[in-house]
Amino acid sequence: MHKRNIVLFVGIVLGALALLFFNIPIASSQGATLVAARVTEPLPLKDPTAALWQTATPLEVPLSAQAVAAPVLLETNVKAVTARALYNDSQLAILVEWNDTTQNDSMVRVQDFRDAVAVQFPIGDQPLFICMGQVGGNVNIWQWKADWQKDSTAWQDMQTAYPNMNVDQYPFARVAMPAPSEYDDPNYVPAFAANNLFAMPRVSPVENLVAGGYGTLTSQPPAGQIVGGFGAWDNNTWRVIFTRDLATTGADNVSFDPAKLYPIAFAAWDGANGERNGQKSASQWANLQFEGAVAQATQPTSPEVTVTEPAMRIVEPGTPPDTTSTLVVFIILGGLTLLAALVLKARGNWE
Amino acid sequence: MAEVYNWQLGRKMPYPFPEAHPQKQFAAVFNINRCIGCQTCTGACKATWTFSKGQEYMWWNNVESKPYGGYPQQWDIRILEQLDAAQQAAGTTATWDSTVTGDAAPYGAYNGMTIFEAAPQMQNVLGYLPPDTEWRAPNFYEDTSTAYKGDDLGISTEGASLPEHQTWFFYLQRLCNHCTYPGCLAACPRQAIYKRPEDGIVLIDQARCRGYRKCVEACPYKKSMFRGTTRTSEKCVACYPRVEGADPLSDGVPMETRCMAVCPGKIRMNGLVDIAADGSWVENPKHPLYHLVKVEKVALPLYPQFGTEPNIYYIPPRWAPRPYLRQMFGPGVDEAIARYAAPSRELLAVLQLFRATQKMIFRFEIEAGPLVHEVPVNGKPWQMYNDTVIGFDAKDREVARLSVVEPVHERPTARLNSI
Repeated sequence: MHKRNIVLFVGIVLGALALLFFNIPIASSQGATLVAARVTEPLPLKDPTAALWQTATPLEVPLSAQAVAAPVLLETNVKAVTARALYNDSQLAILVEWNDTTQNDSMVRVQDFRDAVAVQFPIGDQPLFICMGQVGGNVNIWQWKADWQKDSTAWQDMQTAYPNMNVDQYPFARVAMPAPSEYDDPNYVPAFAANNLFAMPRVSPVENLVAGGYGTLTSQPPAGQIVGGFGAWDNNTWRVIFTRDLATTGADNVSFDPAKLYPIAFAAWDGANGERNGQKSASQWANLQFEGAVAQATQPTSPEVTVTEPAMRIVEPGTPPDTTSTLVVFIILGGLTLLAALVLKARGNWE
Repeated sequence: MAEVYNWQLGRKMPYPFPEAHPQKQFAAVFNINRCIGCQTCTGACKATWTFSKGQEYMWWNNVESKPYGGYPQQWDIRILEQLDAAQQAAGTTATWDSTVTGDAAPYGAYNGMTIFEAAPQMQNVLGYLPPDTEWRAPNFYEDTSTAYKGDDLGISTEGASLPEHQTWFFYLQRLCNHCTYPGCLAACPRQAIYKRPEDGIVLIDQARCRGYRKCVEACPYKKSMFRGTTRTSEKCVACYPRVEGADPLSDGVPMETRCMAVCPGKIRMNGLVDIAADGSWVENPKHPLYHLVKVEKVALPLYPQFGTEPNIYYIPPRWAPRPYLRQMFGPGVDEAIARYAAPSRELLAVLQLFRATQKMIFRFEIEAGPLVHEVPVNGKPWQMYNDTVIGFDAKDREVARLSVVEPVHERPTARLNSI
């Protein structure tokens, strides 16, 4: 019993080191495939219940709490989303549905968090780390936000959250109850002055982002906000549509060639549970396939790896390890591991 | 997590980022004994920075009545409770080891948990997010003292006397501590918070902030605040245009912040201290802040046990119970009060410099004056000399000159009623 555990322990450590050594992104998997149905008519950009969606095969994508990078919320609420996709000559639309008993679409009060959902695509042909990409390998993320959706109809502000509020005046503003964009001097709404999308009038409920590893998530500039969307909550279910032109320019956007397969990942947040940032439910990579157009699947192959330990590392492709020194480190670490295991065994602490 | 040295705790502690220290650090000393709770500082800050929509509840500077007041309500009790719970779960008690001494551990060594050490699994910092109801009524419990322990009629049989009063409250003046190891910065998953290398001021990048409120949750002093209109968090900016000397009044030298400069009670002194590569204060006994914090040790950090190495220092109130003060300012309280109650010649002179000028004072000199007063203090003789203290700005120009005894000018008889 003891011996088997030691072997397992040493095996896990050596396995993790080997993955690190060979620059293999951990935790990728060839998951299920979301098939985008080809249609000729205009896509239902703002109608999640349109009959056309029934022509697409639904794919249920299991989600689990992100547990790799702090901050982590171990109990997240969204366990799965159902995705459908449609495309025509020019556009792609993805419908994501999930159960949520609470509609959290305001983020004005300090304790309010929004419901949200996101899809992620790697940029380029190399396999990427599922969690926000990696150094030298960016991912394109589209995030739909429930409060942005509500803002698109009517900007939510202090008077929305606090209807009985009263104030004498707000200096440097053009109107009595100004939105951030209604200031003569934007320096008093610094996030607006800094072109932070969160403080700007909504052009879309979906934010177009790029990331290359933890903590690097960045909004694309206002002119690069090219992802459309629409979401509605009904009967304890969110139904959210993402839409975008198939072809794009810009190094930070995924561009779709229907002849190819694309890795796609999903994430969802339940605002009622305080979920935001990495405190979320996320999926593994799945594939997005364009129906009727795939001549030959040229999917960027990601090696299948069984995850045994949350020993995820962001590896840097393009910086090959110095073989000699890495081997030395490898051998030393392996030796130390064996030694530690033997000491633990000798002290009788090993169970 | 990296290991960093926290001199206020006299030991190393874990922190998400390795040590990297600014050349200078924004710092201040507040003399609680002199505060009259007038909130002029609070109003000055509000009128400068937080009068816009979405900032209605924000008080980057606030003054609360201790022990009951707090903005947000019970902020310190809540975080102390959480720290205590973490320590109890770990089966430890937090104490200070007074056998550790020296410049690198002026208050001894703290062997309890910091907010970084007590953080829940896969979180960087221990904290909580106060809801809007707790940010309301920022001066709740104003001037509310502890209960009076009297006889049947409520009258004390002994009366009140120092060193500790039976019934007490005091004002606690608070703003962002521009910590050496900020909790807000440690918690931000976006790395949207940074500490400026030139002056150690901690800022939230308004272009990168995504309103996650991890900083609001993590700052133990609760000085990061969410703005509902821009959906981002904001915090005290240490009036950085003034600190940079960019204010038209400043003549190109660093000026004190608005809250410091307006203080009618003259309780505040603000400045920049030189920081060595290892994070210690560069020895400079003629710098008024260095003198108060490091030489005389009359000014102490607020809740050093949180582990963020805060940079606002307090001269503790003489009349409040010592166990309460030790919990709030650490084990240096007794020595600080003893030295403040019977100040040395030099300390008494430096104390005159508070609020003598809007410019930050980088150096002081003392010209000796005559003995003017001799009186017993706490049973020991104490002498007062009418020394003159001179303060110099960043360009080493004289900006303040004060004597210990305030000069008296009599109006000549001929002009008794003239204005």
